[in-house]
Amino acid sequence: MAAAAERVAGGAPAGYTALAVKFGPRQRSPHCLLVKEHRVREGPGAAHPPRRTLFVLNVPPYCGRESLSRLFFSCGPVQSVDICDKPEIGEKTETLKSKFFNLKTTKGFRVAYVVFRSPAGVQAAKALSQRGPLLISTESHPVKTGISKWITSYAASVVDREELKAEVDAFMQDYDKQIAEEEAKAVEEEGVPDEEGWVKVTRKGRKPGLPRTEAANLRVLERERRKRARKELLNFYAWQHRETKREHIAQLRKKFEEDKQRIALMRAQRKFRPY
Amino acid sequence: MAVRRRRRRQRGPDGGGGTDGAAGPGPLPAPGCSQRGVCATQGPEGAEAAAAVAAAAGGQRSAGSPGRGRGRKRPPAAGLLQPVKLSRAELYKPPTSEELQQLKETEDLFHSSLLRLQIEELLKEVTLKETKKKRIDAFLHEINSLLSSIPETSETDLTDQAWLPKGVKVPFLQVPFSVKGRFRFLPPAELKVVGSYLLGTCIKPEINVDVAVTMPREIFQDKDNLNQRYHRKRALYLAYIAHHFSKEKLFGSVTFAYMNSNHLKPILLLRPQGKDEKLVTVRLHACPALGFFKPSRFYPSKNNVRTAWFMEQSTSKEGALEPPTPHYNNSILCDTVLLSHLHFLSNVATDFPGMKDGLALLKVWLHQRQLSKGLGCFNGFLASMLVAYLLTKRKIVKMMSGYQVLRNVLQFLATTDLSMTGISLAKDTDSSLPSLADFHQAFEVVFVDPSGLVNLCADMTASKYHQVQFEAKRSMEILDDSTMDGFQVLFMTAKPMLRAFDHIFHLKHVSKLQSACKKMQLLNELMDRGGNYVAAALPFIVSLLSRGLAGRALLVAHSLPQTPEWPIEAEPPKHKDIGPLAFGLLFFPEFAASTLEKGPQANRPEAQDFRTFWGEKSELRRFQDGTICEAVVWEANTVCQKRLIPEQIVRHLLWLHADIPESSVCYTGALLESVIKTGQEASGTSEEAMVSVVCSYDDLSRKLWNLEGLPLTVTAVQGVHPALRYTDVFPPIPMKPVYSFHTRIRNKDLLLPSEDKPCPAYISPLKVVCHMEGSGRWPQDKEAIKRIKAAFHLQLAELLQQQHHLICRPAVTHTDVYKDGYVFRLQVAYHREPLILKEVVTPEGMLKYQDTEESQQLELETVHLPYLTSSLHGLQQQHPAFGSTCRLAKRWVSAQLLSDHISEECVDLLMAYLFLHPAPFTPPSSPQVGFLRFLNLLATFDWKNSPLIVNLNAGLTDADCTEIKNKFVAARSRLPIMFIATPKDKWTSMWTKERPSAQILQRLLVLASESLRVLEEQLMDPLSSQDVKMVFRPPLDFYDVLIHLNPNQIPRHLESVDRPVKSFSRGVVKNSAGVKILFPVVDYDPVQCYLQELRDAFSDLALFFYDKYGGEVIAVLWKPLSFQPQPFKVSSMKGRMVTTLNNELVCVPNVEAILEDFEVLGEGLVKRVEARTEKWTI
Repeated sequence: MAAAAERVAGGAPAGYTALAVKFGPRQRSPHCLLVKEHRVREGPGAAHPPRRTLFVLNVPPYCGRESLSRLFFSCGPVQSVDICDKPEIGEKTETLKSKFFNLKTTKGFRVAYVVFRSPAGVQAAKALSQRGPLLISTESHPVKTGISKWITSYAASVVDREELKAEVDAFMQDYDKQIAEEEAKAVEEEGVPDEEGWVKVTRKGRKPGLPRTEAANLRVLERERRKRARKELLNFYAWQHRETKREHIAQLRKKFEEDKQRIALMRAQRKFRPY
Repeated sequence: MAVRRRRRRQRGPDGGGGTDGAAGPGPLPAPGCSQRGVCATQGPEGAEAAAAVAAAAGGQRSAGSPGRGRGRKRPPAAGLLQPVKLSRAELYKPPTSEELQQLKETEDLFHSSLLRLQIEELLKEVTLKETKKKRIDAFLHEINSLLSSIPETSETDLTDQAWLPKGVKVPFLQVPFSVKGRFRFLPPAELKVVGSYLLGTCIKPEINVDVAVTMPREIFQDKDNLNQRYHRKRALYLAYIAHHFSKEKLFGSVTFAYMNSNHLKPILLLRPQGKDEKLVTVRLHACPALGFFKPSRFYPSKNNVRTAWFMEQSTSKEGALEPPTPHYNNSILCDTVLLSHLHFLSNVATDFPGMKDGLALLKVWLHQRQLSKGLGCFNGFLASMLVAYLLTKRKIVKMMSGYQVLRNVLQFLATTDLSMTGISLAKDTDSSLPSLADFHQAFEVVFVDPSGLVNLCADMTASKYHQVQFEAKRSMEILDDSTMDGFQVLFMTAKPMLRAFDHIFHLKHVSKLQSACKKMQLLNELMDRGGNYVAAALPFIVSLLSRGLAGRALLVAHSLPQTPEWPIEAEPPKHKDIGPLAFGLLFFPEFAASTLEKGPQANRPEAQDFRTFWGEKSELRRFQDGTICEAVVWEANTVCQKRLIPEQIVRHLLWLHADIPESSVCYTGALLESVIKTGQEASGTSEEAMVSVVCSYDDLSRKLWNLEGLPLTVTAVQGVHPALRYTDVFPPIPMKPVYSFHTRIRNKDLLLPSEDKPCPAYISPLKVVCHMEGSGRWPQDKEAIKRIKAAFHLQLAELLQQQHHLICRPAVTHTDVYKDGYVFRLQVAYHREPLILKEVVTPEGMLKYQDTEESQQLELETVHLPYLTSSLHGLQQQHPAFGSTCRLAKRWVSAQLLSDHISEECVDLLMAYLFLHPAPFTPPSSPQVGFLRFLNLLATFDWKNSPLIVNLNAGLTDADCTEIKNKFVAARSRLPIMFIATPKDKWTSMWTKERPSAQILQRLLVLASESLRVLEEQLMDPLSSQDVKMVFRPPLDFYDVLIHLNPNQIPRHLESVDRPVKSFSRGVVKNSAGVKILFPVVDYDPVQCYLQELRDAFSDLALFFYDKYGGEVIAVLWKPLSFQPQPFKVSSMKGRMVTTLNNELVCVPNVEAILEDFEVLGEGLVKRVEARTEKWTI
């Protein structure tokens, strides 16, 4: 909301180049992508090789992988495009891809890594700033937004039963195999001391030990406490009587102080004006 | 001795400690803080939006100051309760005898120490200060000297009023005008202060000093008791005084008023000049010379108004018996005993400090219940007489504290019906005096004064007394309940009629009561009341209604007719000037809506009576047990109409028996309900739809239990959708899609929305949790459990299709089932899954359970929400109005565009609180009154300092409640801003954890108090347009950008507050059995998709507001803090651009591009984006 006159649009911080980008020809004000060559201290991973990777900041929500690779196609052949919510530090751990489970979608404004086949692409991309704003949605490659996008995603949310079933079955088979292996290993190890002579006791087997959980620990402690309390006599000695009386008065005093504080607060808030 | 001790007591708590000032928190709230100061506990996170909303709420924007507290540790906010810390030495020091005594007294004389302190504070607030008293006394002395200097006049006829100066009108309705008798003005024989001022029992804010001016004996003649002659002389006397006083500089104002709005008894009000004008009102009562009237003339059975004179006939009918005029007689007698009452009461009050306090409390109590003003009120004087009575009966002793006096008075009122068994203060049983039975004959409520002549409750209707009784009963219950803050509820909460009664109706034009008097043949009463048809007809109207509503209404109450004071040069107000008369009905929820009024058997003698009472509505009916009875059946099909049966009864009876036309009865019972009616059925509020949803759900759960072929059985089926607890604003309606309207997926029986048609109707999936049996075969790994659940969803779909021919749409996380036109969303749950998600192994190898976000979310969905749903479902069974009230409240929240910022469950719980803890009211029996109380709760609850405890299913004990309160105080800053505790959720307030933020709550509070004000104004004024939808139309001028939407893409467009004129085809028809069915489009609301995308992309720049029930506008509020230029950071570049400002590179939001993004993201849905640049510049 600062005064518009003082601002010079399209500036870029050191190391970055600003590229203007618009959704389509109808839009008038562009967003600006900030791009630079991807460099990290810890040594870039295999996914984002040095010198060939372009780091793109502030990618608008409607701009996907395809649009990006098309935008930078003119600079040289693009090998891959990665879009993430925030810049990634270190190596990315690739998880098993599943069509149905643990789907992660990126939202809002994001960052992207564009990997070119050759380092020349990166330099060419930086030079793009000289040209007019890039267009994300063109007539030949329209990007769906709004109603048509939502209808598409509604259609996509319909699950193919067979496919899902096959995937679940495959996963469960693997899982069962893994469990079976673990169990076999446990059976093998049972009662066998390790090199220092320790024997592992588990819940299974002939002599199950106490489960090592927090709840079990607490339960034991509680049982102990109750046992102790049962043994104790409370109203036996004179000092005990005295104590309880003193305690009672102290309680009353504490309550009184609390009430007084409460009243003072209410008085301050003028809570005692009935009307 | 009692006085001395009391003084010491008072000093005790304040003076004793000496650490007073240091121990208490700073007495003044910080100036920046709002009144209730909800912002105080916000974390740095919320600070940003704080400014946005607070500025919006305040109507002005200040970009500089907010967020200064960010990151820094704040000093404890003023106005926030801190846990008390006392040193050991202080706690355990040996008690002094004084302290012990004080503790003991608190225990004996008061309920608790808190109550005692509270009462002391209240008394400080309302009692008159000594310094003020001196000023008042001086004023009274001046009046005294002025009065004696008024010149006398010569004697004239009563009707010849030419001698009266121009500037003053006689404060009396002289109808009929002609009357015998002569009048002259003579200076008063005596001037005496009477009433509460001398007793010291008058309380602020209205300090009235009553002064009795004794008119000298020479003014009167014989027979002045007849035909209002005394009253007219009295009025002339006051008029003459008024004229003289009006010229004096001493007075700020000189006006007339009716004593307790009784038009026979004008009084003169004098207020001092200058700044004291508000301080005191001196009320001059003229009274006759002592011993002038013979008391025996005024026994309740005597006549003092002649029919011939009243009817202006020249000669009286010979031999006709004149009817008794008890009220008229009483009005004269009252004047004769003013002084003796004073003596009597001052005798009682000596050595009785508790009386003063008790009376002050009683007066506050009465005032909060609107019982202490108007014709037939239960005023402070009556209360003092009652205390005196209880003292003579030894129910109160002079040792008692104010609190005990109050308790005993309430106890007496609660248990004694003065309309059946009157009481008398007269000591000697003089046989010549009229008996209590005589009084009962003449008056509805009987409380005879010490002289044995005057009925102190003469003008009170039985209904009013019953209301007092009812209030006393409720108050006793509250005082006995230790969990409740009795003080707050009894003395600090006002009970206006609108919020206290389930239904309210107004008589728009009281002049219609004239014809009612005629119809009911109330000539004698009219004469008795000096022509006041309102007072004459009211008792009869009320008893008529009470009889008609006997089985339905617990209480039929009326507002007290009140006439305002008027300037001396104006004509006195007429009877019709009391404005509309309001009646309130309080229902038995079980019977209020029954359609049948069963009468006696046809051959009984009572049957005739029944027939005349109900008129032609009564008809003979044969009942199932074979009897043939008189009965009245009211026409009502829907629940909404049934709720209005009392309206039908009222209108019918008033027309039948009192000639009051329907047009002058303004019934405000269900005006608000129009906002929860849907377009299709204009008459119902869809309670029926809710019931059929529940039926269908029950059927489904039975089918699920009995499903064959599942590897594990279904152990429980629990609904979680709001419709399954009757609180969904617009419950789903059975629908069947029109195929041609949609596109179809090949090979699957599924429909898709089509792009070139309007958006299909919104079908909300009814979420149902389906618990599966626990078994060793469940995997113990979270990923595997997810797969197994997906497999279950697939299998459920398959089995339901095979065994029950229901078409289903399975997905990974749920299965949608299309049944009876509804779509149920089944979600399989495994009870150990949250535990498995929580498992953490410590380095020592111990298994620990730790809450994670995922596990909490899952628990919320599969454990807590089903429990809440079933609890609230149970509440609905106890209180039939619960569901509809919730729906009204939610509709309002949504209409104010805040539905996404406060969870639905939170509103449900707030409403449950109102039903479970209604004190000082009764649980609402109509949605309207519940809604008004909801607004009041939002507007007044002190969220900062107190938790809202909702004791669902009475699952919390007293000890639990105290524990919650204590822990709450200790941990206040870490708890959500709105803290709601329930039996299953004592410490976390899970439904308000994320939402609302402090700023939204503040906004909600402002909106609620404003809506309440507007609504009460509208509902209490029957002559206005009563456009109650006004409070459902949000003010849009706070917002920075408005995104207007295309109505044809808003699937819930028909649900908007002002129903659209033009509607679109939504591609559905009412459910009809089809053979081959395709699965409809479910849970597809483009606006919600759009909002989701907007929030994903711009949540750190702006807040988005939308009415999810068919709103046409999305309102956007920029967060001022994010509009500050910021240094460049990779993580905060979202939607910003880099510019140079004063040679520095900074980031600012790229507003032009963002505004265009709004359009791009909502392609096809957005009509236009209106940037309200008058409030900000790009």
